[in-house]
Amino acid sequence: MSTATVPLARPTRRDEAWRYAPHKVLDQLVLEPQANADTSVADDVLAQLPELDGAKLVIVNGIVNAELSNFDEPAGLSLSTLAQKRNTNASAIAAHFGGQPADVFEATNQASAADGAVITVADDAQVTQPIQVVHIASPGSANATSYAGVVIHVGQGASASVVETHVGNAANAGGSHVLTTVTLGQGATLNHLVLQDAPSNHVVISQVSVSQEANSTYNAHAFNLGASYGRLAFDVALSGNSAHTDLSGLYFGFGDQTLDQQVTVTHDATNCTSRQSFRGVLDDQSAGIFNGGIDVRPGADGTDAEQANDNLILSDRAEANSQPRLEILADDVACKHGSTVGQLDDTALYYLRSRGIGATQARRLLIDGFAHQVLDTVEIEAVRTWVSKRIGQSDA
Amino acid sequence: MLHVKDLTASIGGTQILRGLNLDVGAGEVHAIMGPNGSGKSTFAHALAGRDGYDISGTVTLEGEDLLDMEPEERAAAGVFMGFQYPVEIPGVNNMYFLRTALNSVRKARGEDEVSAREFLKVAQKAMDLVEMKKDFLNRAVNAGFSGGEKKRNEILQMAVMEPKLAVLDETDSGLDIDALRIIASGVNALRGPDRSMIVITHYQRLLDYIKPDYVHVLVDGKIVESGDHTLALHLEDHGYADFVNHDLDDAKPLSGVSS
Repeated sequence: MSTATVPLARPTRRDEAWRYAPHKVLDQLVLEPQANADTSVADDVLAQLPELDGAKLVIVNGIVNAELSNFDEPAGLSLSTLAQKRNTNASAIAAHFGGQPADVFEATNQASAADGAVITVADDAQVTQPIQVVHIASPGSANATSYAGVVIHVGQGASASVVETHVGNAANAGGSHVLTTVTLGQGATLNHLVLQDAPSNHVVISQVSVSQEANSTYNAHAFNLGASYGRLAFDVALSGNSAHTDLSGLYFGFGDQTLDQQVTVTHDATNCTSRQSFRGVLDDQSAGIFNGGIDVRPGADGTDAEQANDNLILSDRAEANSQPRLEILADDVACKHGSTVGQLDDTALYYLRSRGIGATQARRLLIDGFAHQVLDTVEIEAVRTWVSKRIGQSDA
Repeated sequence: MLHVKDLTASIGGTQILRGLNLDVGAGEVHAIMGPNGSGKSTFAHALAGRDGYDISGTVTLEGEDLLDMEPEERAAAGVFMGFQYPVEIPGVNNMYFLRTALNSVRKARGEDEVSAREFLKVAQKAMDLVEMKKDFLNRAVNAGFSGGEKKRNEILQMAVMEPKLAVLDETDSGLDIDALRIIASGVNALRGPDRSMIVITHYQRLLDYIKPDYVHVLVDGKIVESGDHTLALHLEDHGYADFVNHDLDDAKPLSGVSS
């Protein structure tokens, strides 16, 4: 493990990507990774995971717990820990640690994350069973922070699904930062699901960096539900021609949660398509952030990019911050973006009530309907069930 | 069945209904016609319980006071309103919505909920009635429906809910002749001795298909003339001008009873 010093300062309100973050909470976190972290896990934390069989890597406070993990490798799949990989084939994960850090958290992760998951899918392999990566934060002392890395490579023409889940133990307040690096070979497909449901005294930062070669497809679903501050960041580089990326997400805030989605899609090749579709439901005094960028580089002709962010506000004190960022430096580009912030539709409520459905249930139906439009595009049933249950909706 | 007495309604200080009186007996179909802005839709919403109106007067259904009830309580009491503009509800499955609606009113009436299987039978019957295809139940409520599909969905809901009083607000607007025929035959099939209907329309056309027992002319928030279906024919020929100008002499000869 490198102990190089981290030169970056903590983010402030002056940093665009951190403008609406709860700095009071963030500033309390101890940045240095917690030492001698415990890797045991209480059963009630494990009970919070989606019901999925098969390959599974469980990472507790940044360290893989082999007993809780399942290293089953169907044909074409290779699983290892980041610690192992560092010893056996460090060059394979060099890029993961070599990127320009976006902030002090990422820099600390690169400098100090000792362990994590490495998932490699061989060329042309079709791995149908979803691969689970579970991040469990169980801070050993107040405001302790843990760091982990996930490296996913899907080879040429191959396909796989990875479900990354963030949960934790609420005994202590604290934080976790996970840096996930995804590389997709030509014609590869990855379905990537990020489920964030940490305890309400935790901070979770998930930073996903994706690099796509020609004709590859990256489908991400981000469910940002738990934590006092949950930040799911996606930085996708469409580097090969005719690649496609589809990012969608749902954030559902209560209490004084801040749920943050930071998305940048960079079109750096011709004829790529990208879709961003994020929905937020915000109750109580919660806040939602969508900071979504479409960056079309010179020469990226034939780009087709769309972005939508829709927010449903359920309380006077809740707020939604939606910031589209578009930079288009190529010709022949189709680019669309839209953002809405609204309340429950009174006419729709009246319509439902006129059919005998009580006011509370009518509200619930409309909220579920709004959220469902994200959930319906998830193909893994266990994940749909997990999200439905978590947001307390009926089996509509 | 339904008694409406001295009903007034205003919204934002503007009075729309100005002392409306109407009695609808069990099994009767009453048509309400009137020019734009006469208060037809407001009357429908006042019966269904929409928020935002200042209301006075009395409205009872089988002796129960409707005006103190929430919209869902009125539905449980047997009121159904077919909307002029059915609301699109993306993300909410039509079948789930219908079953939730039916079970909500059954629960409010102290009846058992219907199972998914029983409900399918009820829904299938209702779908046949309005000639709807199977996939219809699996779509989101009214989302992306054509105008005709939305109106057929209203009649389908009415068939499932089996109300005592159906208020159909301009169910014929925006329909082509085929859709009109389907809807009218659906409505006619749902007529019965225990079900009263108020059919609100601009045009006589709908009444060729749904023969009302009584026709009322609503002008400026009041019923100014009542008669049998021949009153509608008279309106078709002469328009509402006679009534709008409050000069009823030209309106003769009118057939049927005058209230």
